[in-house]
Amino acid sequence: MRALFRFEFLAGLVLLTLVGGAVALSPWLFPDSGKTMDFLARLTPPFVNEAHWLGTDPMGRDILERVVVGGKISFIVGIFSALGAVTLGTVIGLLAGYYRGFWDSFLMRFADIQLALPFILLAITVIAIIGPGLDRIVILMIVAQWVQYARLVRASVLSLREAEYVQAAKSYGLPDRKIIFGHILPNAMGPLIILATLNVANNILLESSLTFLGLGIDPLTPSWGGMLADGRNYIQTAPWITIFPGLAIMFTVLGLNLLGDWLRDYLDPLGKTNT
Amino acid sequence: MPIVSYFIKRFLQAAFVVVVVSLLVAFAIRMTGDPAMMMLGESANITEADLHNIREQMGLNRPFLVQYWGFMSGLFSGDLGDSFFRGAIAPLIWQAMKATMLLAIISLGVSMLISLPLGIYAARHKNSWGDQCIRILSLTGLSFPNFWLGIMLMLLFSVTLKWLPVSGFSGASSLILPALTIGIILTASNLRIIRSAMLEVLNSQYVMVARAKGLSEHRVIYRHALRNSAITIITYLGLQFGALMGGLVVVELVFNWPGMGTLAIESIAQRDYPILQTVVTVLAMLIVFVNLLVDVAYVMLDPRIRLE
Amino acid sequence: MLKHHSLKKLALATLLVVSSSSVWADTSLTVAQRQDPNSWDPIDTFLVAWSSAGGSLFDGLVLRDENLKLQPGLATSWEILEDGLRMRFKLSEGVKFHNGEDFNADAVKFTFDRLLGEEGAKGPQRSNYLSIKSIEVVDDHTVDFVMNAPDPVMLTKLAGYGAMIVPPKYITEKGDAHFNMNPVGTGPFKFKSYTQGDKLELVINPDYFGGKPKLDNLTYRFIREDATRLAELQAGRVDVVHDIAFSAIPTVKENDSIEIVSVAGPSIMSYQFNTKAGITKDLKVRQAINMAVDKKVLIDAFLGGYGTPIDSLQGKLSFGYDPDLKGYPFDPEKAKQLLKEAGVKPGTEITIDYRANNAAVGEISQAMTSFLQNVGLNAKLKPIESSVFLNDIVPKGKTDELFQFTWGGWTFDFDNTAYLIYHDGERWNPYGTSEEMNKLLEAQRSIVDQDERLKILRQVGQLAHDNAYHLPLYNEDTIYAVSKKVKGFVPAPDRRMRYLTTTVEE
Repeated sequence: MRALFRFEFLAGLVLLTLVGGAVALSPWLFPDSGKTMDFLARLTPPFVNEAHWLGTDPMGRDILERVVVGGKISFIVGIFSALGAVTLGTVIGLLAGYYRGFWDSFLMRFADIQLALPFILLAITVIAIIGPGLDRIVILMIVAQWVQYARLVRASVLSLREAEYVQAAKSYGLPDRKIIFGHILPNAMGPLIILATLNVANNILLESSLTFLGLGIDPLTPSWGGMLADGRNYIQTAPWITIFPGLAIMFTVLGLNLLGDWLRDYLDPLGKTNT
Repeated sequence: MPIVSYFIKRFLQAAFVVVVVSLLVAFAIRMTGDPAMMMLGESANITEADLHNIREQMGLNRPFLVQYWGFMSGLFSGDLGDSFFRGAIAPLIWQAMKATMLLAIISLGVSMLISLPLGIYAARHKNSWGDQCIRILSLTGLSFPNFWLGIMLMLLFSVTLKWLPVSGFSGASSLILPALTIGIILTASNLRIIRSAMLEVLNSQYVMVARAKGLSEHRVIYRHALRNSAITIITYLGLQFGALMGGLVVVELVFNWPGMGTLAIESIAQRDYPILQTVVTVLAMLIVFVNLLVDVAYVMLDPRIRLE
Repeated sequence: MLKHHSLKKLALATLLVVSSSSVWADTSLTVAQRQDPNSWDPIDTFLVAWSSAGGSLFDGLVLRDENLKLQPGLATSWEILEDGLRMRFKLSEGVKFHNGEDFNADAVKFTFDRLLGEEGAKGPQRSNYLSIKSIEVVDDHTVDFVMNAPDPVMLTKLAGYGAMIVPPKYITEKGDAHFNMNPVGTGPFKFKSYTQGDKLELVINPDYFGGKPKLDNLTYRFIREDATRLAELQAGRVDVVHDIAFSAIPTVKENDSIEIVSVAGPSIMSYQFNTKAGITKDLKVRQAINMAVDKKVLIDAFLGGYGTPIDSLQGKLSFGYDPDLKGYPFDPEKAKQLLKEAGVKPGTEITIDYRANNAAVGEISQAMTSFLQNVGLNAKLKPIESSVFLNDIVPKGKTDELFQFTWGGWTFDFDNTAYLIYHDGERWNPYGTSEEMNKLLEAQRSIVDQDERLKILRQVGQLAHDNAYHLPLYNEDTIYAVSKKVKGFVPAPDRRMRYLTTTVEE
């Protein structure tokens, strides 16, 4: 129970609730999804016009609206890509690490091939062929990132597999399934959670890099990454275009990672005795 | 399994990976468009015969596998041949390789120098004020897209303060800003991994045993804990190397750094197959090599992992 | 060592004697531009990026000045013979290439034989010069161009990239690959060094036949990212930026040490319609879309005012411009009515394709959706990678209802744009126009009488307007961002900067 009142948990929860809540309510708060343009009000600075409290972008669109609505795309990109990659990577990593032999070699060569292709170059080539789109970006990220989890899990499994308590469990005749999910996976969870929460943040930013390279989703649909990339030409004259989505990303990253840290401690069977 | 045959096996696996990657790239880039069109431009009066001629000269009318074989045999005989648009490939790749590796090694080195001691400190003093500050700082470092951070550093140090060159590759001072940009982002994520890996180990049985044996805390941390957490840290660094190479693309573009990233982006835009194939294959070799090192490091750090 | 030392002394002494008032150090100018053409051979390229730097290295028989008037270049005079089937040029005497080779009639013949032959076939320039049949050397300083058919635009084209005169001996001895990376011409600046993707360094050619330039060193840096080029200029590390982004204009204007220098240019921007599929098959819909967009607002908001609205695909400077062409007015009410007549329901979807590599085009395209929304069309955007767009989507007719068309039109002759975009079978005309259009375009190509041509080109413009094949938006000014240290900067409308009169004050 004490764990619920830890700094990480409270701070993380508050930040995520604020950002996530606003984003979740955006369809009711801003029914036109931040798409209305007003060329007469373009590049309005923040805090001077009540209609545009956080200012406007070069299209005269309201920054507050676009930040709140844009969170949706950023959350989808960040969370779905991380979830997909964690699931795929964990399963493959567990199989390869625990059974070793042929499947290990086979899956790890797959992983090597994937690792040896730099993501950005892969993305540029693939998007040039099939065209841009939200679904494609998420799938590309999963394809590019499952390897990280697979190798991390495999490394933990390799190490834990030889650990005394796993050897002991084996000698008692526990089935593989129980050993994997009862003993090995919980012990591999710590770094996994940290990596996953890191990657949610990374992928929100990666979407920004893709827009920077001209491979983003269409610019009418707001996203934090897109706002940062498109706003870069205005950093000097209209910094508010990039500052507010930047802050939104920062709060999300902080909140997610604080919660991730807390969860890691909460799940870590040995860590609990120590706090 | 004896160490020699282990390495032979790993080498063959690495070669397999490089071949598959280069095949994939050679194939994929040919799906994205016709360099003959690029060469003849947007102007009028281009006939099919002209296009055919150009393709003939570029060797694009040959079957795919013949083209691929030409490329690979060239690569291994040391003759990289000519690009479509930019002359001989070898000097281009060599120059770009030097620039990129310089940037990568310096930023990785600097980031490890900062994140290792800070990460250990944070793990040892878990939940202290110091730990929380390091945590918030590192998470803040993770909240910037690399191009945005790069532009901001450029505006501060080059435009406003006029201390450093803006872009390009001209002497050591031009290395600082791009290395700082990548370094900040690397440090932020390295810190988290190191702290977490150290925590795992500090709570483990052997560290408790070491402590119980009355070993000094310094010895516990640096001899036992660090050695054991190194597996996770090294795995992560190995993984990061590929991501680092990819992330460099954007930073190189912002700082006009003449490295592999800019070369790759330009050759994709121009559909210069020979350059792109070579860049990606060379990068793949590098990444595979680094991961081979990681595997070797596992064995050296933890003798319990058997060579297989 | 000793030699070097005494040389320095000598130079110092000369400098003191010759010009005690002049600046001590060499004057150097650094220019930043987006693109590196990767080869300096004039026939390898169609990029403006080539000409803005390569123009200082080479000369044509004819040159075009900053007012777009044709001037004698390496030829001192010319005459048109045999009803345009033969053009005779008198060449300058005593001109040498940078490597010391003589410029003469053989060099001209070599240049065009190369352009029209095998080497030229590998590049984009040859197709502009196919009306030339052969070159005949009359004497050492006289050449004849024998034509397949009269070509009214040929004289202008002789000032173009492909017709830059190149040194025969140098190329024959060193080979094309060497020439690409180590160019030699007759121009006001000589090649010093070139690092791909980074910079091109040039030094003064003191013997330039058109007069000695005032700069000693001229360096071009190739910087891809808009924000980086701007930062270099602000930091004072480059003096001139050739491709300043429109979004950077306010930043430049706020800065006391740099300024925007602009001149009317050739570039136009429009959206073409897919006339074969979707609602834009209907002329009324195309007309309605033409009336839905306020071009003035677009120019003021996204080009900083540096542009002029157009009603055909050319600017005022273009030969073929028609001041009497009445464009579609901005009239959203009329547009709605036309859409209704065409049976288009409010909320119908329509998609705009554009190249993803230009920030200003991205903004214009976004703004377009707002105007279309206003008349009841639900506009979507599809940014497409540039090469795919140019080589696959457009020529193969795979576009959506609207697609971007931007054109440089450096000849300032409407033929250059119109033929490409209205004649059936051309790359930029995937959906076809009409037999009438084809006939007009073909007719004007063989008429030497310029008044007659002008009439036909105006008919072409009118016909295109009546059929609303496109939505012409604006003719953009050529803008440069220039440090105030730079004096005597004469902006070239076509970006073929020569920097003959330019100098830098510290």
